Amino acid sequence: MKIAVQSRWLAILAFLLLAAWPLCAHVGSPDVYYEGDAGPYHLFVTVRTPPVIPGVAEVRVRAVSGGVQAIRIVPLRLTGPGSNLPPTPDLAEASKDDPQFFTANLWLMEEGALQVRILADGPQGNGELSVPVASFAQRTLPMPKPLAGLLFGLLLVLTVGVISIVGAGAREASLEPGATPGRTNVRRARIAMAVTIVLVLALLYLGRTWWGIEAASYERRVNFYKPPKAETTLENGNRLVIRAQGNDPRWSVRINMERVIPDHNHLMHLFLISLPGMEHMWHLHPAKAEGGAFVDDLPSMPAGKYQIFADVVDERGFPWTLTGMTELPSISGKPMMGDDSSWSGEPLATTQAHSTVSELADGTRIVWDRANGPLKSNVAIDFKFSVQDKDGKPVEDLEPYMGMAGHAELVRSDFSVFAHVHPSGSVAMASLELAQASLLGDASSMPAGMVMAGDTGVSGPLPPVLSFPYGFPQPGDYRIFVQVKRSERVETGVFDAHVD
Amino acid sequence: MANSMPVVQPISARIADRVSAQTMAIPWYIWCCLTSVVSAVVGSEWDISWHKSIGRDSFWTPAHILIQLSGVLAGIACGYLILWTTFNKRSPLRDVSVSMWGFRAPLGAFLCAWGGVAMVTSAPFDNWWHNSYGLDVKILSPPHVLLALGMTGIRFGTVVMILAEMNRAQGLYRAKLERVLFVAVAFLMGMTVGIMQEHTNRVFMHGATFYAVIMFTAPIVIAMMAWVSDNRWAATIMTAILTVVNLALVWILPLFPAQPKLGPVYQHVTHLVPPDFPLLLIVPAVVFDLLRQRTLTWGRSRQATTLGAAFLASFIAVQWPFAHFLMSPASRNAIFATTNYPYAVPPMSPWVRNVFVPTEASVGEFWVRMAIALAAAVVMTRIGIAWGEWMRRIRR
Repeated sequence: MKIAVQSRWLAILAFLLLAAWPLCAHVGSPDVYYEGDAGPYHLFVTVRTPPVIPGVAEVRVRAVSGGVQAIRIVPLRLTGPGSNLPPTPDLAEASKDDPQFFTANLWLMEEGALQVRILADGPQGNGELSVPVASFAQRTLPMPKPLAGLLFGLLLVLTVGVISIVGAGAREASLEPGATPGRTNVRRARIAMAVTIVLVLALLYLGRTWWGIEAASYERRVNFYKPPKAETTLENGNRLVIRAQGNDPRWSVRINMERVIPDHNHLMHLFLISLPGMEHMWHLHPAKAEGGAFVDDLPSMPAGKYQIFADVVDERGFPWTLTGMTELPSISGKPMMGDDSSWSGEPLATTQAHSTVSELADGTRIVWDRANGPLKSNVAIDFKFSVQDKDGKPVEDLEPYMGMAGHAELVRSDFSVFAHVHPSGSVAMASLELAQASLLGDASSMPAGMVMAGDTGVSGPLPPVLSFPYGFPQPGDYRIFVQVKRSERVETGVFDAHVD
Repeated sequence: MANSMPVVQPISARIADRVSAQTMAIPWYIWCCLTSVVSAVVGSEWDISWHKSIGRDSFWTPAHILIQLSGVLAGIACGYLILWTTFNKRSPLRDVSVSMWGFRAPLGAFLCAWGGVAMVTSAPFDNWWHNSYGLDVKILSPPHVLLALGMTGIRFGTVVMILAEMNRAQGLYRAKLERVLFVAVAFLMGMTVGIMQEHTNRVFMHGATFYAVIMFTAPIVIAMMAWVSDNRWAATIMTAILTVVNLALVWILPLFPAQPKLGPVYQHVTHLVPPDFPLLLIVPAVVFDLLRQRTLTWGRSRQATTLGAAFLASFIAVQWPFAHFLMSPASRNAIFATTNYPYAVPPMSPWVRNVFVPTEASVGEFWVRMAIALAAAVVMTRIGIAWGEWMRRIRR
């Protein structure tokens, strides 16, 4: 009983805290943006995940290439059981204003790594693609006051009602027709009502306790999917050791960090961003160590506080972003090698200024081809960037960077939002590979801009224009890091944006 | 002539009874409430099957409409009955009604009305629960239990209404009402046992918790039925009705095609998934009736101890080995329907693998819970007897 009472208070505390906390899972950007081909049709897909699971996701599909007559969608598990038995597909509704824009509501019944399969029909035949979706409970809702008042009133009626019914039954139910209750009947009724009051109060107490336990249980599910903490230690002056610590005790039992899967060539993508103004950023790739830890021999970097974001994908295809903060001394490390990269420059502008051109060291520049007007939160945007030489001409020497035309990291000024996106969208590439693998025999569904290293189909330079489908999850000031590779050198362009 | 008298009188009495039974029709409000109960039974089973097979629903599924019709029908019928009895000074029901908050009506009408309000209250509560914690794909949640309490209120109110009429009636009319009572009480036990169905799956049948759950929910209704009826086989008849209804659901529901509309889908479902094969409660019910007939002169507590213990023992004796059968390939056919899994049950689930799930951590805990089951059987039987004796006296 003590545990039950404790659980109730924990649930109440959880309610209070949730009302004040911002969303911070994955990190603060739960919606999915994806661009890819369903057979002959090029689609831009947005999946707005529900805040509670089971809950209804809103799926929007824009047929960029046109010619789509119908869109159907089905949810499946990303891997294992449940990934091969689709339910009856939902037919998306075409917009009256734009017949190539489709919307549908889709129930996500389970947490974990799911996929939403999109089936497109049109005169060019049928095509399908699969979008990995990280499904997880994000929050609970406090009860609105009017509803609480209504339910309290009805509960009062029911409580007083059942006591009165018991009283009436004990007083009069056994009387012969026409007889009036005597003093014995009245006394019996009072005793019955007193006993009922005790029973009803006990029942209400048990009900409230049960409610509290259910709420606490749900809260544990919410905590389970919150970004795990990145616990760091510095060894030998420059060796950073990272260990994941979940927000729920079951996390380390269920998520095996020793069995994370490669995500575009690396098991972990580590981003160290200097606090508070993001003047420095490192994109590193730690190696796996014993016991589920990851280690990286840091390059030279100035002393200071750094925000940590570390992307991994678990064996089921669910993406996790470890978050944390570390204070490092001045480090004299090794030169960066391989896919590691860094950037240093001016701090984030918080004067609602927008930057659309980022000058690179050798005089080339990355230009953000953004539409006029303010940026809006929760709106799907195709972020287009072009890489130009010092004369403003498109460069011709872009190479795949970790198998893709480019990478972009979008970070909110308070670090409550972090998204690592690619030309195919906000999905983790490892999850996407699992989703594509489930589409057996459909080679046409390779995601946009994904040119995996070693792919025999890649030869010669990449086009100088990149696009990243994404939507800002909330208003605020953001810094966008855009990374491309030219002549075996990683270049990072930086843009600041204010979102209304 | 003197010798013929005993023969002639029963015949005339029987004719009089038959005339009485024909002229004394069961009141409309009892039929309304009984229809409401049947509507809720069919609606609930259909709805549960719908969630197991199709998944997605809306406010307007046929199953939901039947459940809502139950509350509406009982609410309107009993509301009208309460108002009519209260404000019509010449209503014949005024003499056989109880008073509450200035209103007058048979006690059962107030219980049904209470049940209707509880069902209505559960709707916004359940909706908020879904928005706050996600759709609860389980039967036992606080808003669902409130809905079940409302349904129980309507079923119990119907039983009380029939009993009040029955306890005032004589002869064939009484027998007619008793037949209706068997059905109403069977549905009442269907509610008390059925609400616990998440704990009575076959995988739990070799754990003590399963038997404790049944002892908390079944003997109370069985004892009540046995004590309110004059029929020596009352518990058996009532339990047989419930078993037949459940068997009908097991065999009829799979005749209707259905496909999952939600995912992930783990089981290939082509038809409505029926409930589990009914528990063998008929056997302990027969034992209960047999023993009751031989212990009528005993004290009530001694009788409850004997009947409760016998109920538990006979139930274990048949259900334990029957659980083995339900796990075996021999049960995987249309009769026992043990391969009808809901679409959302993963293939590695103990249910699908036909593996018993231990509900107790140790042998000691098993026997402690078995002792709790025995105590529950005795105490609930005693409460059921007291309840039945009180119900026998109901006149209003």
